[in-house]
Amino acid sequence: MPVTSCFQLTLAIIKPHVVKNPIATQKIRELIIASNFKIVKFKRKLISLPEAEKFYDEHKRKFFYNRLITFMTSGPSDMMILTKENAVKDWRDLMGPTKVFKAQFEAPDSIRGKYGLSDTRNATHGSDSVDSARREIGILFPEFNIDEWYLKEEQLFRLNKLSFYEDKFIHVPIDR
Amino acid sequence: MNKFSRILYPVSKCNKRFVSGPKRKYPIDPEHERSLPVFQYSVSNENYRRVFSWGNICTGALGKPFHKSEENIDKLKHLQFPKRLTFGEQHQVVTAACGFGFTVFAVQSDTNQKVYGTGINTDSQIGYHEIRKDHPLEVIFLPKPIDLPFKNPVKSKVTKLAAGRAHILVLTDEGLFTLGNNAYGQCGRKVIPNENYSKSNYINHIENIDDKKIVDVMCGQDHSLILTEDGSVYSCGWGADGQTGLEHFNNCSEFTKVNGDIQNEKIIKLSSRSDFVLALNDKGQVFGWGNTEYGQMTLPGGDQQVASPHYIKMLSNLGRIKCIATAGAFCLVLNDNGQVFSWGYGLLGTGPVAELSRKPIHIPDTLFGKNDYQSDSTVIDITCGLYHSAAITNHGDLFIWGRNKNGCLGLGRPEDQFFPLKVAIGGYVEQVICGIDHSIAICKPFI
Repeated sequence: MPVTSCFQLTLAIIKPHVVKNPIATQKIRELIIASNFKIVKFKRKLISLPEAEKFYDEHKRKFFYNRLITFMTSGPSDMMILTKENAVKDWRDLMGPTKVFKAQFEAPDSIRGKYGLSDTRNATHGSDSVDSARREIGILFPEFNIDEWYLKEEQLFRLNKLSFYEDKFIHVPIDR
Repeated sequence: MNKFSRILYPVSKCNKRFVSGPKRKYPIDPEHERSLPVFQYSVSNENYRRVFSWGNICTGALGKPFHKSEENIDKLKHLQFPKRLTFGEQHQVVTAACGFGFTVFAVQSDTNQKVYGTGINTDSQIGYHEIRKDHPLEVIFLPKPIDLPFKNPVKSKVTKLAAGRAHILVLTDEGLFTLGNNAYGQCGRKVIPNENYSKSNYINHIENIDDKKIVDVMCGQDHSLILTEDGSVYSCGWGADGQTGLEHFNNCSEFTKVNGDIQNEKIIKLSSRSDFVLALNDKGQVFGWGNTEYGQMTLPGGDQQVASPHYIKMLSNLGRIKCIATAGAFCLVLNDNGQVFSWGYGLLGTGPVAELSRKPIHIPDTLFGKNDYQSDSTVIDITCGLYHSAAITNHGDLFIWGRNKNGCLGLGRPEDQFFPLKVAIGGYVEQVICGIDHSIAICKPFI
């Protein structure tokens, strides 16, 4: 059997304004499944202020830091850990450019081009590298152990021995 | 006997056989004849308005139910041309407002039900509606009435409506009512942490502010602005970009007076769609504040977030400004001569590509239908959605341009429109309201 390369993990967040639009949320979910992503973890939760501050620590000195924090804590978000080969890059490609007013014209079919409203209300978040994915998952899913997942479940995800629960929007490995 | 005698004495001089007697089935009674109505060609009631909607049909914001089936799924996703709304035939629609995937209509009525809402309702922005107990409806596909607590429902009227991303402001003769999401305090009431807006049935009532009557309301995406009778501006809601104009970047949960350059001015009109605000005073001068990342306003310091109102000097040579409109990243102004100017970033109406311009560009009058055959045609009103713009002329024509998100331009095709083009619509357009991916027009019938 050919050895496929390791699956990557990435953190995806569907931001509060899209969560409030059930039609857009459904479309994004369909897109995630159609792009062959597997969902390891999923939860809908209001991000607390300390979590948001820790999460966006790298932007602390930027002028948009305050509005990013206040926006992310304004309502519940959908958080999920996605996996795939090249998950980090593929998810960022699917999202499109950060600035929505420009993404409108540069990548009109991307998630941000379609469902973003403004540069802050840009529909989704995605980790920019494997390392930052690890850091971000640690903040929002503290109960999730990445190393343990690679040991126990990664192979099952790679071999597609999974069952999909649409109501919970999660893939669960089939135990034998 | 003159030649009119037959007309003057129709009964006595005519042949009696036709006038009375047993052979005539319906004898003419002059009294009865006089009371009969004179035939007139039918004209519409003066208050009757035709309502058209177009754009994204999936959210229910068009007030039209649709059936999903495999065959027509692509065809039905967007309504690319204006379609008349049955709701407008059943009610006298006065005005409307479009938010993010929802629409509210104000109607003439004697009951408490003067406002109707349709579309996304995850924040109870169009009232609390349930079929089963404790299971509020997330999406509504037909306009449903919103009960507002009027003291005198027969006399009171809804005068203005405004809708943000997930909240609405309803201005009535009895004051202001606010509904919907209050995460930043945009409803003008205290922020309750972790409030469940989908199950909330809370309508906030503000009768007047500092003993002054409210005359106009305007919503950005997550902030609210109100205008009082003496021309001062009050704001509340999200202030992270300075869009509240209160000289700080924090949220504000109570309507607070905006000072800065507009402190001593009599403001007559406000405009905001996203995070930038324009205000117009009675002298035709324009002021702005909020997010100016796309060159909506250029200040000497180069600030991208302006938290207090500033006079926009570059517009001073355009003459007296009559009307203002802001979109997500660009602005429009209309001057006394009916000339339209645009600046900012986006499809500004003059070229085939999205462009950034810090200086106002004049959109040629010819594009708004001014030609040799219609030399008196001028633009009288301008409006912006988040990514598209519309203009109404004195002939009741509607011109639209911008990004065609989900068919919101109503031109019958999916491509973006980079210069103003007339929309085929069955009526004299009086009001046009542009949302994010849908639009509503309220028109006077042709006859």
